Amino acid sequence: MTTRSSSREIVRTQDVRKTYVMGSETVHALRGISLTIDAGEYISIMGPSGSGKSTFFNMVGGLDKPTAGEVYIDEVDIAQLDTYELAWLRCRKIGYIFQTFNLIPVMTALENVTLPMVFAGTDPDEARDKGAGLLGLVGLGNRLNHKPAQMSGGQQQRVAIARSLANDPAIILADEPTGNLDLKTGREVIELLKSLKVDRGVTIITATHDMKMLDASDRVVWVTDGQISRIQSRADMNITVGSIDGKEIA
Amino acid sequence: MPASAQHRIFDDGTARHHVVLPWARTLSMCVANVYQRLGRSALTFVCIAVVVAFFASSMGYQRIVTRLAQTADIHVQAVLERADVISRDAQGAASRHDQQIWLLVLSAGLCLVGITNTILMSVTERFREIGTLKCLGALDSFVVRLFLIENAFIGALASFLGALAGVLLALLQAGAALEFALLDLSVCFNAFAYSMPRAIALGTVLTILASLYPTYVASRMRPVDAMRVDI
Repeated sequence: MTTRSSSREIVRTQDVRKTYVMGSETVHALRGISLTIDAGEYISIMGPSGSGKSTFFNMVGGLDKPTAGEVYIDEVDIAQLDTYELAWLRCRKIGYIFQTFNLIPVMTALENVTLPMVFAGTDPDEARDKGAGLLGLVGLGNRLNHKPAQMSGGQQQRVAIARSLANDPAIILADEPTGNLDLKTGREVIELLKSLKVDRGVTIITATHDMKMLDASDRVVWVTDGQISRIQSRADMNITVGSIDGKEIA
Repeated sequence: MPASAQHRIFDDGTARHHVVLPWARTLSMCVANVYQRLGRSALTFVCIAVVVAFFASSMGYQRIVTRLAQTADIHVQAVLERADVISRDAQGAASRHDQQIWLLVLSAGLCLVGITNTILMSVTERFREIGTLKCLGALDSFVVRLFLIENAFIGALASFLGALAGVLLALLQAGAALEFALLDLSVCFNAFAYSMPRAIALGTVLTILASLYPTYVASRMRPVDAMRVDI
């Protein structure tokens, strides 16, 4: 089903290393990760906490810079970008979804969704229409003027998903998007992400340890101790998913 | 390969890769923040108001006395004489003046430290919000602009209330020390017109100065901090 041979690469990391110096100790968070992600792929990065999963995820999203090695987004080495280009990249081309939702508390759902469009210089009327449309897409068409505090966790995460789509990004970066949600709501969010990939061709990269996520992923990258321990593609996952789902229901 | 040209990230036809934050939007965001977080910024608010009130009351009191001393009315002169509020010799006046200045500088300094601290607290409280803004494409300068204007708003609002209270206090003080009957409309008006703008300006400038460091801290916050779950 996935036509990987014909797709174009969107993110490529080349022997990415990250070391932190903590006092006299040097911590190697990443020990050389090389990975290529194609446009339109749904990738899950899995790994226990402390594995370097989050560090790698942040590098891919242009939020952190590697100590050594390169991260290319669309063939451009992001270390070469200046502050303005980096901000532009975050604003227009990458949509972020956080574990803790991170909506701006004083803004309504609609204002939260239109904020990235403000930064992108979109006309206010156009932004409002588009924002309302996106909230409709995530099933919150009747909650436009609710504040985050007036919404449930699942609703807040759906607002965050709508916000991540504001400027039609090429990549959506989701950090434990289901981490703070219950099983059912988590499933809904995963379904939503999957449909974005299918309907809009968005590349979705998630960092997670939620096994439900496996089902939606094209590839799962397991990170252990700062290195990729294995990469599973969708074809070899079916058995794994079945048994995990079995456990979950039992 | 050209089939998937829909995702050419850096050659998407937009000439300049820039992000913007229009001034109208900046202001509306600041107003919303001040209005909806009034409870949270109460400490900053009270701190500024008290210092400005102190400043306004001592300035207002001075102004009232000076104004009264200028009148030729014998009764007024007698009252002033009796209350001993005017130094007859230049040396006494100078030392009184120095004392005033010293007190004001001291209180302004204390206020500066206090406000800086409370604003710093509110900044660290909002670290995730700032990180999120940056993930959405905000530049350091957007954060600087938002925080400075927001604090200037709080400063101006608190200063206005503080100055109002301060001048009223000055009138009460003058009335108690001298005679309430002397405080006619023109004296009162003069005290307000003279002290209020100065006190408000001082309070606002003080708040902006106090918010410089916290704003710097906020603007340096890295977007990756938005990802952190702890703290």
